[in-house]
Amino acid sequence: MIAALRRHGRLWLRTASMSMQAQLTYRLGSLGFLIGKAIRMGFFFAFVAAVFDHVQTVAGYSLLETALFFLTFNIVDMTAQIFFRGVYNARRIVNEGDFDFYLIQPVSPLLRMVCSNVDALDVITLLPVLVMTGVVLHRLPPLGWERGLAYGALTANAVALIFAIHVAVAALTVRTQELENAIWIYRDVMFMGRFPVDVYATPVRWALTFGIPIAVMTTFPAKAFLGLLSPAWTAYAFAVTGVALAAALAFWRSSVARYTSSSS
Amino acid sequence: MRKYLTAYSIALQETLQRRSTLLMDRLGGFAIVLSLYSFWNVLLGDKTSFLGYTRPEMLTYVLIINVLRSFVFTGRGWLLVGEISSGRISSYLVRPLNYHGYALALDLAQKTVHVASAFLEIGVLVLAARGGVFVPRDPAAWALFALAAAMASLIFFFMEFAVSTLAFWTSESGGPLFCFELFLQFAAGAFFPLDVLPESLRRLLAATPFPYMVYFPARVLLQKVSPPEAMRLLAAEAGWLALAAAVAIGAWSRGLRSYAAEGG
Repeated sequence: MIAALRRHGRLWLRTASMSMQAQLTYRLGSLGFLIGKAIRMGFFFAFVAAVFDHVQTVAGYSLLETALFFLTFNIVDMTAQIFFRGVYNARRIVNEGDFDFYLIQPVSPLLRMVCSNVDALDVITLLPVLVMTGVVLHRLPPLGWERGLAYGALTANAVALIFAIHVAVAALTVRTQELENAIWIYRDVMFMGRFPVDVYATPVRWALTFGIPIAVMTTFPAKAFLGLLSPAWTAYAFAVTGVALAAALAFWRSSVARYTSSSS
Repeated sequence: MRKYLTAYSIALQETLQRRSTLLMDRLGGFAIVLSLYSFWNVLLGDKTSFLGYTRPEMLTYVLIINVLRSFVFTGRGWLLVGEISSGRISSYLVRPLNYHGYALALDLAQKTVHVASAFLEIGVLVLAARGGVFVPRDPAAWALFALAAAMASLIFFFMEFAVSTLAFWTSESGGPLFCFELFLQFAAGAFFPLDVLPESLRRLLAATPFPYMVYFPARVLLQKVSPPEAMRLLAAEAGWLALAAAVAIGAWSRGLRSYAAEGG
């Protein structure tokens, strides 16, 4: 078990290093993507800050609290982009026959499919987000280490939940060889996580909590830090992730078992 | 002209045939408009106005963003980059057609479907809207809006075309295009009215063509611009359109001179 983990760890480091080198080779392209990502974040910050020049609170949250929601969204989203970027190539990997090679290698095809393409640009943009989150957490009134722990645990839980979604999309691609845009549904709906789910009308809020649990991924960690998440909702967040992971992995195994190769 | 109408007709059928892609595209747009709508709805709360916009005006601005995003920002930039980089562009160059006209016909087909969908989506939100929406009664406002939006769409077409033709000189033009599209959307007011931004930043943006893409047409529809002022701004927009077209056509001609195709 430990030997397998080490082997996969080495493999991940090697493939991550290769994809980072590939990105660094394309300097102009990478610079454009990097500046684009910085612009997106900068403009949203400017927007939120400018709105708070005119109001005291939004949905009952102060500027610092709203910033915490927005930063938490970015941490979770960027972490997923860094580690699970491979899914965006899933259809090409299946259709061009690369998946056949993954299956005969002595490593997990799931790891190869989902995690072997690391987006170095998101590593660069994540660093200032982490620094800003530290500043915001520091500026909020002292709330105790338990809340910090809950924030960390729920943020990790959110990344695990996103991993489950990516596994499900990869499984869907292996099974159907289609649905190239399935991951974009997740990306698009994730936009809604930039704001705390409290801004949405009740039916939308429920859909974002129980349907596509964007709330669990983006709102719950910040709410836990602010002391606004009950133990029952905390337990729900972990339960949802547990169920989603189990279901996604079962779906993946079933899809791989039915796979009959789609390319020569 | 007939061949461009045929291209339009085929592209229209193709767009409608790819229903899952269309649905996912629209879902993404709807998620954005629903998020912004909910955000402004909560922000306005019991206030009668915010930044000079009454509640119905602000909500209408958000809804009209959905239509303008579909009409203005639906483009073929990424396809053009792919066609130039892969050499597929050669097959168009030997045909008896003007590539700009052909691209515009395909672009219009996409816009037709997306704008129709956008109206359907905002219809749903209007039905659910609390506080109503602003409907201009002056036919001149509708006419000026249509003219401003049509020119905005053409400005975007030529600007995106110009940036995409970078692919004639570098295989890394995807990065600049990504950066350009993101910056454009924020600077155009496609996420929030530019009135939110600080005065200095607003003045800076006013000296660029970007606010003419969404912010200006939306304000015309909301009758926030007097008719003489609207005419002056429309003239400025026409100037930007002429400049964008000249740059795009010039870049295309120079690019073609440096383009070399090999193989069959």
